[in-house]
Amino acid sequence: MTGVAPRRIVPPPVTSWNKPIQRYLLAGLAWATPGLLSAQDTLSVPPILQNLSTAPGVVEMTLTAAPARLSLVPGTVSDVYAYNGSVPGPTLVVREGDRVIIHFHNALPEPSTVHWHGVHVPADADGSPFDPVPPGASKDYVFTVAPGSAGTYWYHPHPDGRSGYQIAKGLYGAIIVRDPHDPLPASLPEKVLVLSDNRVLPDGSLDLPDADSPAGRADMENGREGEVLLVNGQVMPTLTIRSGEVQRWRIVNASAARVYRLAIAGQTFLHVGTDGGLFERPVEVSEIVLANSERVELLVRGTGAPGSQTTLQALAYDRYISQTRPRNWNRSRDLLSVRYAATSAGPAVHLPATLRQVPALDTAQAVARRVIVLSQGLINGKAMDMGRVDVSARLGTTEIWEIENIVGMDHPFHLHGFHFQVLDRNGVPTPYRTWKDTINVPRHETMRIIVHFDDYPGKWMFHCHILAHEDQGMMGILELK
Amino acid sequence: MTRWLRLTFAGAVSAVTILSIAAFVDASPASPRTQDQDPVLRGRFLVLSHACGDCHGGGNDPAAKGFLAGMTVPQQEFKIGPCAAAPQDACFKTRPRNLTPDNTTGLGRFSERQIFNALRYGLRPEETADVDITSIVPGQGNFPLHPHYLAVPMPWPSWRHMPDQDLWAIAAYLKRGVKPVNHKVADSEGPPDFWASEYTVEKIGPPPGLSGWPTDPPHGRERTAPWIARMNRAMTK
Repeated sequence: MTGVAPRRIVPPPVTSWNKPIQRYLLAGLAWATPGLLSAQDTLSVPPILQNLSTAPGVVEMTLTAAPARLSLVPGTVSDVYAYNGSVPGPTLVVREGDRVIIHFHNALPEPSTVHWHGVHVPADADGSPFDPVPPGASKDYVFTVAPGSAGTYWYHPHPDGRSGYQIAKGLYGAIIVRDPHDPLPASLPEKVLVLSDNRVLPDGSLDLPDADSPAGRADMENGREGEVLLVNGQVMPTLTIRSGEVQRWRIVNASAARVYRLAIAGQTFLHVGTDGGLFERPVEVSEIVLANSERVELLVRGTGAPGSQTTLQALAYDRYISQTRPRNWNRSRDLLSVRYAATSAGPAVHLPATLRQVPALDTAQAVARRVIVLSQGLINGKAMDMGRVDVSARLGTTEIWEIENIVGMDHPFHLHGFHFQVLDRNGVPTPYRTWKDTINVPRHETMRIIVHFDDYPGKWMFHCHILAHEDQGMMGILELK
Repeated sequence: MTRWLRLTFAGAVSAVTILSIAAFVDASPASPRTQDQDPVLRGRFLVLSHACGDCHGGGNDPAAKGFLAGMTVPQQEFKIGPCAAAPQDACFKTRPRNLTPDNTTGLGRFSERQIFNALRYGLRPEETADVDITSIVPGQGNFPLHPHYLAVPMPWPSWRHMPDQDLWAIAAYLKRGVKPVNHKVADSEGPPDFWASEYTVEKIGPPPGLSGWPTDPPHGRERTAPWIARMNRAMTK
């Protein structure tokens, strides 16, 4: 029952990073030999959502959620829900400053919403449980993409009590916000990897056990995990990387509950960005923990011998309470086959000394310090009530929230609408500054965050992003006036 | 799961001690002066006279180091399950937790109502909302649909028969009359149903004081009376 809990390896702060980083980028060019055949990727790429507008700075798109019949897990055909007919849904690509208009049509037999997870939008465009779109109805989500918010995001339904079901049925997709002056070279091949897992019965129907069954109870406690791990909806696709080539990977954890401790045998990553985009200086890591709804940007260099192969794995990660910890939790799972092509990369890549400034929010400006207590299925001892406001704050102010997890399992905490910075973990300052909208709060640990409510009044949700917990009411309401 | 409780558990406190305390509580009438007393003082008397510190630390000496601050040595750990008979077999390890009002390691983040609900209904405060409970039918009257119970062998099935004001007094003392001690006790283990199958009405009788329930729990052969079976069926439906 017991096991040593693997924990996030926090890399030491890098002070003179440029030399080792350049070494990281350049080493491996020794492999660069003229190639014969370029191996083919089998990794599929979700379609890019088409922009219907020709006006500059305006992005107009149509997104329909509808029942579909397709293969959610290879080998079976399932009745699913899909955005524009695909799972994952199409990728939204927008630029900072764009005016975005999304015509959403709900062709599902139940109410739904679209939540633009992490994107700073007005409250009425947030797709929160306050604004359900009835079956057969439509809604236009209109927002302007905030300057400085370039990064990787995702979208998914957020109806009251049904997020877990609808996302399990196939409703999720990636969002990329581009910076017109992206500090990373545009020549880097970019890969979007949307991670998810699912469980289907032999007849193709979703395995959603009755809440009163032992399996259903375990799903309520742990969140629903599936034994089939998917990358962009595929089982173990192959991605090819050339010798010495540096690729930019944008990874989204779209799973309902699974936390991915990502590692590639024989490879390191250059961690360059998180939820809210790039941070100041790259950090070389051998593994990275990606909790539900977190995103990460990594630079990955082809270091293996040409023609060889390795695997992107999800290593065992113990996030569970002992009472319901799955028997096979302590197992590594394969996600993606990484093949080192025989062809060599182009010219070496040079990174700027500073990717971008991430100015620190000023703790002296904080007008409130709040304690948010996470326990199993509850926030501050309460289940969510749509008629109750849990936190009232004033527009234009800065606050410090102390997020305390007082139970024996991890809870990823998500605040809608606003990016925050993590000040410290159990009182230990975080090694580097970054913009976050979701942060894993490990068991019996405390994260202190700082957030500035710059604009957009209204009601905002904050919650555990284990979908089964969220749907049970492990959610609170912030009202900004 | 039935067998878990019947087996003995290892630890500093023997089953005999627990049972004798339980017997004492069942027999003790409520103090006639209960309502006149400061709840913190009354709670202190109850905590000391019920020997909470024998398991939770410090014995009966509030000045002792680690009074009520939870398990400090492995001998205080309980092993519940088959390993008591066959050491190579599995057991759930349960540990007396920190009852001081420390925020991160004790009861500091729980309300007095959550502590009351823990003592009256055996509900784990970290998994039970801070609400008044008016039923013991799961899903009704704020009783959780899937109750999570305190780890065995916490003798709440006996403690719960104290009058309301005594349970509130214990909660008041634990929150307001004890110095917070920052001491983390590892979480107790347990079965995936959080002991629910051990704490059915058939096994422990109904709690006192709820409308629709007999004021006094039935004894002896009455425990198998048809009405109990009916209630139990209604509860588990």
